[in-house]
Amino acid sequence: MDFIQWIVNIGVQIMEMLPQLLAGMAVSVQIFAVTVVFSLPLGLIISFGRMAKNPVVRGITKAYISIMRGTPLMLQLFIVYFGPYYLFGIRVTNDYRLWAVFIGFVINYAAYFAEIYRSGIQSMPAGQYEAARLLGYNRVQTFFRIIFPQVVKRILPPVTNEVITLVKDTSLAFTISVVEMFTIAKQLASAQATMVPFVAAGIFYYIFNFLVAVVMEWAEKKLSYYQ
Amino acid sequence: MCLLEMNHIQKKFENLQVLKDISLSVKEGEIVSIIGPSGSGKSTLLRCATMLETIDSGEMIYLGEKAAWTENQKTVYAKKDQLKEIRKSFGLVFQSFNLFPHFSVIKNITDAPIHVQGKSKEEAYREGMELLKKMGLEDKADAYPCQLSGGQCQRVAIARALALNPKILFFDEPTSALDPELTGEVLKVIRSLADLDITMVIVTHEMAFARDISDRVIFMADGVIVEEGTPEEVFSSTNERTQAFLGRYGEMLGR
Repeated sequence: MDFIQWIVNIGVQIMEMLPQLLAGMAVSVQIFAVTVVFSLPLGLIISFGRMAKNPVVRGITKAYISIMRGTPLMLQLFIVYFGPYYLFGIRVTNDYRLWAVFIGFVINYAAYFAEIYRSGIQSMPAGQYEAARLLGYNRVQTFFRIIFPQVVKRILPPVTNEVITLVKDTSLAFTISVVEMFTIAKQLASAQATMVPFVAAGIFYYIFNFLVAVVMEWAEKKLSYYQ
Repeated sequence: MCLLEMNHIQKKFENLQVLKDISLSVKEGEIVSIIGPSGSGKSTLLRCATMLETIDSGEMIYLGEKAAWTENQKTVYAKKDQLKEIRKSFGLVFQSFNLFPHFSVIKNITDAPIHVQGKSKEEAYREGMELLKKMGLEDKADAYPCQLSGGQCQRVAIARALALNPKILFFDEPTSALDPELTGEVLKVIRSLADLDITMVIVTHEMAFARDISDRVIFMADGVIVEEGTPEEVFSSTNERTQAFLGRYGEMLGR
C-alpha cells in the first residue's frame, strides 16, 4: 500500500465520521459561545469589585479570582456538577450536565477576564479621567464613553489569547460526560481502534481557532485607526 | 466682579508643603499669568483651582459662590450639585493636551456639548466647526489626534475647552510639550482669545508671551506668591528672588 493510498484511506475514514464529529462540534461551539457572551460582561463587573474602594468587596473578589485561577478548571466543573447533590442533596437531571459546563466555564473565564480588564483600566493615563472630569462627564459617561473604548483596544491581544485557550478548554466538558467533539472523537477512537478521530478532532480545533484568530485580528485592525 | 477668589490656600503632598498660604483673585476679562521656577507650586495651584486636587485649607470662591472653605480646622467643599454647577464655569487646557485618542477632532470638541450640556448634534457641530476655523484647523475636523502635530493637538484641546463656554479658561503650561515653532502657533491662538475678552489664567514659562498678553503677572517660588503686578512691574522688579529667576529675561523684557 503506497503513501497516497494511505492518505486517501484516512480521508475516507474522516468523511465517514464527519457527521458525528460535526454534531459534537456544535456542542463545543455552544459552550464556547455561551462562555464568551457571559464571561466577558461578568469579568468586567468582577474587575470593578477587584478595584473597589471598599476593602471587603475587594477582598472577596480577590479571593474569588485567586481560587478560580489557582485550581484546575476540571475540578471546578466536578464541583459545579456534583456539588448540588453532595452538598445540598439536590438530585440533578441529565440536562444539568451541559448547564454545569456553562456555569463552570463562565465563572472560571470571568475571573481571567476580570484581571485582563483590570490591567487595561489601570493602564489608562490619569489625564484621560482628568480631561473628562473638566469637561463635565459624570463617572458612568467617563467610563463608557472615554475609558472603556480605549481599554478594549488595549486588552484585545490578551483577550485573544484567553479565547483561543477557551476553544481548546471546551474539550474538558468530556470529564462530566457532556457529548462534545472530544468526547465523540474518544468514543470513535476506542470503538474503531484507530487514531484517526483524534487527528480529525485536532484539525477541527485548529480550524476553529484559526477562525477565532482571524476575527480577533480583524477587530484589532478595526481599532488601529488611533494609537 | 471677581470670577475666582482663592484665599490662604494650603496644600501638602506627604510631607511636602507645596502651597503655603496662597491668595489670589481673578476679575472678569482679566488675563493673569503665573510664572516661576519648576516645583514652585504653579501647577498644583491650578489643579486646586480646577478641583483636580483638594485643598488642605483656605477658601475658594467662584462667581461669588463658595466652593470650599475651612471650618473648625477642616476643609469643607460645597455640595455635589453646587460643585457641578461651579465646575461649568471653568475649563482647563493641559500641558499634555489629554485629547481623547479614539475620537476624531470634531468629536473631541462636540462630544461634551452633546452629552454633557445636551446640545443638539447640529448645533454642537456648527459651533465646533466655527471653533476649528478660529484655530485654523477646519480641514482637520475628521482627523484623529494621532495624525496631528503637538501644536495642532493643543489647538484642538483649546477648542474643546472653549466649546463649553467657560467663564474662565486655565492653561497649565500649554506650550511646554512643544518645540519653538509649534509653541508660536499655540501662543498665537491664545493671543487671539485675549481679543475675545475671555478670562484666562495661564501658567507658563514663555516670558515674552506672559509680558505681552497679561494684565497681571504673578511670580511664584517655593509655594508662595513672591510678587504680583503689571508685567512692567514684575519684569523690572528689584526683588532678589524675582531677578534671580528672570535673569536675562528681566533685562531683555523689563525695559
